[in-house]
Amino acid sequence: MGVIEINHITKDYGNKRGIFDVSFTVEKGEVLGFLGPNGSGKTTTIRQLMGFIKPDQGEVKILGLDCFEKANLVQKELGYLPGEIAFMEEMTGFEFIKFIAQMKNIKDMSKAEELMTFLELDARGKMKRMSKGMKQKIGLVIAFMQDSPILILDEPTSGLDPLMQNKFIELIQRSKKEGKTILMSSHIFEEVEHTCDRVVMIKEGSIVATETMENLKKNRQKHYEIHFNKEEDAIKFAEHYVHCQRDRNQVILTLKGRTNELLKDLSQYDIKDFNARPQSLEELFLHYYGGGQ
Amino acid sequence: MLTVLFKKEWKANYKIFLIFIAVLTLYTSVIVAMFDPKLGESLNAMKESMPQIFAAFGMTDPGLTMLDFLTNYLYGFIFIVIPFIYIIIMCHRLMSRYIDKGSMAYLLATPHTRTKVMMTQLGVLLSGLIMLIVYAVLLIIGCSTMLFDETIELGKFLMTNVGLLSIQMFFACICYLCACCFNEIKFSIGIGAGIGVASILIQMLSQVSDKMEFLKYMTPLTLFDAKGLQSFEQSAVIGMVVLFLVSIAAIIFAQVCFKKRDLPL
Repeated sequence: MGVIEINHITKDYGNKRGIFDVSFTVEKGEVLGFLGPNGSGKTTTIRQLMGFIKPDQGEVKILGLDCFEKANLVQKELGYLPGEIAFMEEMTGFEFIKFIAQMKNIKDMSKAEELMTFLELDARGKMKRMSKGMKQKIGLVIAFMQDSPILILDEPTSGLDPLMQNKFIELIQRSKKEGKTILMSSHIFEEVEHTCDRVVMIKEGSIVATETMENLKKNRQKHYEIHFNKEEDAIKFAEHYVHCQRDRNQVILTLKGRTNELLKDLSQYDIKDFNARPQSLEELFLHYYGGGQ
Repeated sequence: MLTVLFKKEWKANYKIFLIFIAVLTLYTSVIVAMFDPKLGESLNAMKESMPQIFAAFGMTDPGLTMLDFLTNYLYGFIFIVIPFIYIIIMCHRLMSRYIDKGSMAYLLATPHTRTKVMMTQLGVLLSGLIMLIVYAVLLIIGCSTMLFDETIELGKFLMTNVGLLSIQMFFACICYLCACCFNEIKFSIGIGAGIGVASILIQMLSQVSDKMEFLKYMTPLTLFDAKGLQSFEQSAVIGMVVLFLVSIAAIIFAQVCFKKRDLPL
């Protein structure tokens, strides 16, 4: 039995908005990445896990409890980071953290303080005046301070600078070692890549792929951008590779493996510039959604 | 009832409460001070010169006793409108705003049922309302004994205020019901506020002339009959009981609706 179980849920908002027949489970101790472009239904799914909305069909269970009917019992074991920041603006950050801690019956504030130090958060100011990044940190403190066995995080790194994104990854890795079950939604591959065991992809409300991170990495292609000095070289090179695009003396190429072959080929030409980067999530999505446009 | 939430809301909203206390103090003390047993006659003369305007604000018979005077000048309009504005503001701050902005998510992401959260917020609303009315009662008693020898008839006066509480409870529960059932401010506050404002306007119209009197059957304010309550008329007492019962029904509806519905968080 999975810790989080989603069984064939449908929530139809009309106009093809909503989610349709979504099913997946998160096992104990697993970190699951929930990926999808904006508006694909990630937050709608998470809202049902939180018991904010009821599925039209199907059922959502956490620890075997119905997420809507037994929301208060589920919440005891749950740390949650909402995708949209909506605090009680008239409070200071620390007051708000303390208030939520009291609401959650947390007596020991040492974990919260430890998190604030770790995230370099100064929560003394009014939240009205806080930047998006600071608010996001407050959200993270609230989600993690309970030390709950399950974490549900909706776009956890939005608004954080790269340094903080790394700290967040560290936080997830630490929680994973402690045996926590984590579901996090994201549209940034890197944060998922370094933390998740498995990835579920959603598009237009339907699950399009469920892959282990291992498989996903294996299938991930490299994206090359090669600038030739002479246009005829570019034309000649492009003839050898079927899946490439040429624009004058520039060639864009995606390849899986075959690195040696490519380097050998390129050594015969006069190269002006060469860029290589891992395939982005969007490009990977295109692969899963059936080969792009 | 969640003590933590109850305290937090009072801490966040006590300033608004104090403003209303100040406004009530101003109006009440001025009006009590205006009372003059002899003034009744001159006010009656004034009323005769512009009966419609006096009638619109419920001042049909300025009367001769302190209680008659206050019933006309405070319980006809001022004590209806001021607490009503407080109700609207608090419904927005305690419920509509949290749903509209999404911060309700934080309140519900705690090991408490929706019913508990919603009942606590209602508790904040009603406790404030009751305190406003109790304050007004004490203020009137205090002012009248300080300024005049004539003491107010306590039994009748308290009965009037239980009636006032019934009509304000009614407005509070209806507004809160709307706040719990709708997502957007324009509905969640608009409908509740609309009902209240329309009630007050209709009552004002119905008092202006006999031709419009039938309108009084279209406003719940008719169920609050201060003069009837003072003479313990059966119909007035029934009206008051109906208001309390409708309030309780509204609370039950609000609880069921809020518990079952999808929230846009």
